[in-house]
Amino acid sequence: MKKSYTKGAKISNSKGSRKTILNFLKGLLKKGSLDAVLIPMRVPAGDSYAWVLIKDKKLLDDANPIAPIMPVQGANALSSCTKKGKGNLKIAALMRPCEIRAAIELSKLNQVNLESVTLISYDCPGALPMSDYLQDPGEGEKVFDSLLKKRDRDVESVKPVCGICDNFSILPASDLHFGLSADSRDNILLIPNSKKGTGLLNKMDIKPSEDISSWAKNIEELKKVQEKKRKERFEYVKDMVEGFDSLVKTFSACVGCHNCESVCPVCYCRQCYFESETAKPDIESILLKTKNRGSISLPADRIMFHVGRMVHMSLSCVSCGLCTDACPVSIPVAELFSYVGDRTQQTFEYRSGEEKGEPIPMKTYRKEETKGINELVKGAEG
Amino acid sequence: MESKKTSSKIGVYICECGPNIADNIDIDTIIARLPSLEEYQNKELVVKRYKLLCSNEGKEFLENEIRENEFTHLVVAACSPRDHDTTFINVCKKTQLNPYLYKMVNIREQCAWIIPDKEKATEKAIRYIRAATSRVLKQSELIEKQLDIDPGVLVIGGGISGIETALSLAGKERKVYLVEKSSELGGKMNMFKELLPRQNGNRDIIEKKIEEVKKNESITIFLETELESAVGFLGNFEISLKNIKNNQPGAEFTVGAIVAATGFRLTDTGKLAQYKYSKESEVYTSLEIENMIKRDGKIVLKSGKEPESVGLIHCVGREEKGYCSQICCNYMLKFISFLQQQSDSIKIKDFYRDMCLPHKEDQGFFEEVKNKGADFIRISDVKIKGTHVEYTPIGKDKKEVDVDMVILAPAMEPEKGTEELAELFNVPLSETNFFQEEHQQLNPVETSIEGIFIVGACHGPAGISESMLQAQAASGKISTRLIPGKKIVPEVKVSEIMEDFCMGCRTCMDICSYGAITFDGELSVCVVNEAICRGCGNCAGSCPSGAIRAKHFTSAQIYQEIIEAIR
Repeated sequence: MKKSYTKGAKISNSKGSRKTILNFLKGLLKKGSLDAVLIPMRVPAGDSYAWVLIKDKKLLDDANPIAPIMPVQGANALSSCTKKGKGNLKIAALMRPCEIRAAIELSKLNQVNLESVTLISYDCPGALPMSDYLQDPGEGEKVFDSLLKKRDRDVESVKPVCGICDNFSILPASDLHFGLSADSRDNILLIPNSKKGTGLLNKMDIKPSEDISSWAKNIEELKKVQEKKRKERFEYVKDMVEGFDSLVKTFSACVGCHNCESVCPVCYCRQCYFESETAKPDIESILLKTKNRGSISLPADRIMFHVGRMVHMSLSCVSCGLCTDACPVSIPVAELFSYVGDRTQQTFEYRSGEEKGEPIPMKTYRKEETKGINELVKGAEG
Repeated sequence: MESKKTSSKIGVYICECGPNIADNIDIDTIIARLPSLEEYQNKELVVKRYKLLCSNEGKEFLENEIRENEFTHLVVAACSPRDHDTTFINVCKKTQLNPYLYKMVNIREQCAWIIPDKEKATEKAIRYIRAATSRVLKQSELIEKQLDIDPGVLVIGGGISGIETALSLAGKERKVYLVEKSSELGGKMNMFKELLPRQNGNRDIIEKKIEEVKKNESITIFLETELESAVGFLGNFEISLKNIKNNQPGAEFTVGAIVAATGFRLTDTGKLAQYKYSKESEVYTSLEIENMIKRDGKIVLKSGKEPESVGLIHCVGREEKGYCSQICCNYMLKFISFLQQQSDSIKIKDFYRDMCLPHKEDQGFFEEVKNKGADFIRISDVKIKGTHVEYTPIGKDKKEVDVDMVILAPAMEPEKGTEELAELFNVPLSETNFFQEEHQQLNPVETSIEGIFIVGACHGPAGISESMLQAQAASGKISTRLIPGKKIVPEVKVSEIMEDFCMGCRTCMDICSYGAITFDGELSVCVVNEAICRGCGNCAGSCPSGAIRAKHFTSAQIYQEIIEAIR
């Protein structure tokens, strides 16, 4: 485990948390401590957000550091600009904790290079479901503004997977963190969490001298509430994915569009195996299945696609919920994957996106791992 | 639309294996049932039985059958593939049939021998044969390649192991490059005057060998040189050397095999609290004593006087290291014998934990030394303050004694730089930090990288005789593997990476124990070097994108086999 940082700097929140964050970033650009900032910006049409890499600090005024929705995962944006190497730009990426965790997963798979990137996180209130926001973006902005002002988490209007998120604050991988749920809404805590983060604060002459324990305590309490909600919800989700019959029922509406896969930040394959010719069954095996079961639905292997994806990426799933947003038939994909991900990650004593450089379970082998699998098998049989 | 596939004709041959299979499996039932199964009704299937397919007559029969029937695929249901897979592969090779379109089924160990009920055994055999028959149809032809080889050998380390390896291998058609980091050949043996007394040897042996090496025209010696890089595979390693003195690039050449003979050093006793001593005190390590005997011809104190009492302590650092250094007990006996010859009245106290005397002469030597009056004390604990020894004999109370001189036998550990060399070779180290052999009992001088060998003490504590054995063993292996003028056939059941799927995440590179995968930065994909790959399939299993296929063990082949076995 890395060293934990226990101090932060209090900065005034009189202009609102978004403005405060932007001013801080502008300061860093001005001092030359950063070359560019990766940040969400509302699209000109006003009904969505896009990731932009901003070098000109004047343009930062148009950015929205805490967007109400997440149309594209930040880790994908970061991968698109750093995959081929670190380059000479010093970049800060302001992202939600789940986006940072996805970026950490991708860095382990050499799809993101974090060497010249500073990861900045904040206490995330969750994101609104895309479908709600699109119905009335103006109303969506208002709803989200009110969420940002609350100290507690309002789970009614956010995405279901955000409603049960218990990892919404500072991460071991954060370089800097904005503690928005500070003692009062008058202040924001700026917490350095790595040498990189401390370095940036030094450049800005900000001394992290305030004790952060009361903020940390508040976060811990919120997390406990969330953990409980998560557990309760999973009791329900469990019945949707455990056993073949449940899977068939849950995914029966699936139209096979593979949107969930194409928006997933950790589904990083060049071509999904399930979309390749290799995965297409030949007529003989279709006939064999038809013979065994009496009939099969076509195109075949729709369930196989989801189960396959669970096998492939549930260890890295960060529960960001993009898959549910992208599903045209409203299957709660994110909650299902989040549940399966929790289970597989527990089996390998692994938490996706926690530690930079921690090897993914595919690269490690421990004898005890098979024990866990045996228990799972027993559990499934019992 | 694709035109109809060329029709396949499958031969299924069932071996009776004398009574072994015939008595416990109803072969006639198999012959009657198999062609009538639904999935084979549209296929050409020939099912036959034979007494003993592995006999010369059997092989000839099978060969003729393959030719006459013009089989496209072959299944042999017989014993374990461990027994006779190669036999039938060789039969295929004599015919038009590619041996990778053949599959062996084990109906002896896995059916006949373990299932008492004949009917059930027959049912299981049918399932297995079905699984193999369906699998074989999914198999593809693989073509074996032949590669030219360089018979030359690079030997790293100019100690006794390296010297022996070089001498055993060098010849008219085989060049040997001997690399030594110090300024002279001989290694640790340069510190010795005598070998173990019972081995009747002295320094002449090593000096003669060094002379031989220097005279041998097929051996090129590089002193004060180390390995800079080694890239390649058995038969073809590209070598670059580095001059240590001026840190300049050295010679570059190609060899077919590499032998690491980098030896050992003694563990630093200063790091062990119970053996701390100042330079002024009369405490010596075993190598210091060897050096003293060579230099002065006797064991003496700093004053030049001969000691009247000597305490010898075995197993210094054994517990910390977690292994026995094997040779120390023997050389401690050598020192005692030397001291006894030096002075009749010498008082010897030998503090040992366990006496390790593995060779046939050792026990006699021990008795001899003991009978001359040396006091051997088996201890559970020992500590020194200079030449003041505090010790606890097993099952007794703590005692103490003052002696004129203390001799320590520190544990052997791998020579400095072993770790770097292992990294350069991509060869694993064992938990003890010595090189890891491919198999401790069955393949002790090879590593997981084909063509890289380990001999002598770099591979684990070893004395001179063991080092010689290993050097000669590795030389034998290399001589039979790299025959000048002959070609080698690399493994064909290798992995292949489908570029269209590979995202360049390099998970496979971390997994591969053979260093067979490299990264192509331009295409952002991983690439398998087929000459190095041994086809273990770990990369295929670990690839998150499913971009890797293990030839002859593709998902389609395995899936088909399983489906038929459980249908």
